[in-house]
Amino acid sequence: MSDAHHHHDHDHDHGGHHPEPPSEVEARALALESLLIDKGLITSDEVDRIISAYEHDIGPMIGARVVAHAWADPEYKARLLSDGPAALKELAIDYPASTRLVVVENEPGVHNAIVCTLCSCYPWAVLGLPPTWYKSAPYRSRMVSEPRSVLAEFGLSLTDGVAVNVWDSSSDVRYMVLPERPAGTEEWSEEQLASIVTRDCMIGVAKPRVPAESTTR
Amino acid sequence: MSIDRSVANLVGDAALPRKNGELVFQAPWEGRAFGLAVVLSDKGEYEWDEFRKNLVGKIAGGPEKTYYERWLSALENLLLEHGVVTEEELSKRAAEYAALERDPVF
Amino acid sequence: MGGMHGFGPVVTERDEPVFHARWEGVVRAIMQRTNGRYYNLDEFRFAIERMPPDDYLRAGYYERWLHAVETLLVEKSVITREELAQGRMESATPRALAPRASPPDIQPRFRPGDRVATRNIHPKHHTRMPRYARGKHGVIRRVYGPFPLPDTSAGGQATDWETCYAVEFESRELWGAGADKNDRVCVDLWESYLEPEEKR
Repeated sequence: MSDAHHHHDHDHDHGGHHPEPPSEVEARALALESLLIDKGLITSDEVDRIISAYEHDIGPMIGARVVAHAWADPEYKARLLSDGPAALKELAIDYPASTRLVVVENEPGVHNAIVCTLCSCYPWAVLGLPPTWYKSAPYRSRMVSEPRSVLAEFGLSLTDGVAVNVWDSSSDVRYMVLPERPAGTEEWSEEQLASIVTRDCMIGVAKPRVPAESTTR
Repeated sequence: MSIDRSVANLVGDAALPRKNGELVFQAPWEGRAFGLAVVLSDKGEYEWDEFRKNLVGKIAGGPEKTYYERWLSALENLLLEHGVVTEEELSKRAAEYAALERDPVF
Repeated sequence: MGGMHGFGPVVTERDEPVFHARWEGVVRAIMQRTNGRYYNLDEFRFAIERMPPDDYLRAGYYERWLHAVETLLVEKSVITREELAQGRMESATPRALAPRASPPDIQPRFRPGDRVATRNIHPKHHTRMPRYARGKHGVIRRVYGPFPLPDTSAGGQATDWETCYAVEFESRELWGAGADKNDRVCVDLWESYLEPEEKR
């Protein structure tokens, strides 16, 4: 994106394209950004990147908050597993009435993952918009028939004896994975716990990881 | 690029407008205003909490009608207070955009 | 698509934008506004399924959405093909669909733990039983619903409400001895897709 240029001779004879003048508030937003760029405080690229990061990540933060709370509170976890939407409501998260949310729990012997082989149903109310790979033909066709090789492509290898349980969302039910809480997080706050729960963990193609350099706080 | 949870988890009346978990902007300038406020905080122009307090104040009372109008106003006030921009240059620049004398950045 | 062959590795794009181009966002917005008003979700899915196979495989995700929305709005007389081609309205907007009535109380036929067999049906009409699950044996894990049966709902007819179940299949049952013996696939299936398994 280029910086604003000051055009004194704005040519209006370019085949009839006349932009609408910005509204007052829009003009102020434009003015603010362009002044800050002129003053060297920001670049428009930086603004672009922030917007795209938040658009990308904000959806899964809802799910991450739910997972962290379930880890911290076993009774909440039980309620979450038995009635997803009601448990979300406890956290002031509105879940649409038209679909159901069923949360499936990973355990030491069972690893869950979700897919929609028939189209691309996805628990967007807790995870935001689905990534392109989730909607792709390879994922949809292979996740039910060869989940371990798909998981390996995501860098996830499972120990022998762990069962993989793939949930194919063929109805109005939407599934979300409750990952296992990693060791070494016993003293963590819910905010810290939520920070390691990624979208991919709640789809089931990754596991939450404790960063190597983290210390107990 | 990681995101700041204190930004993403603004609560109550200050909560970012979302639909189905996604951020909602009614127009591109709202997204820009959002991005500007976050970038400047990341770069240390102000503490995020200072911006948040300004935003809450705008929500509590003021002429602005929509969430992002209040957001932009809160940001302007903060930057004016900190002397990052002046009202004069802001008004002048805005008038240029309104008169189509400048091409929009976005 | 489950279990079909010939698709390679899953390609992931780091930091992908939510929409790759603005028109995708527009298509999504149109779908969200018209879904539930002029057509229902089952009809939408069926419209995509009805695409000629070559078009379906070649089309990107949001191209399929656009195709479905265009097809349905024309079929429902919301717009005409001529209006679509010219980009101009010529007639008044029709009324929206009446909202669905609430589901009746239905006694589920099966309970968690019941062993069932899926019917081996290959209908031309829209259905939500994946091919790989047809003619297989599984176990009821969860009971849902009642949900509208998509097979009749996709044709825009009156709603058939049925209990829906999460049915668990051993992967070896679905894919043969090559599958891991511990793995399972759970699929949501409507009651009319299922029969009680004969006692062995």
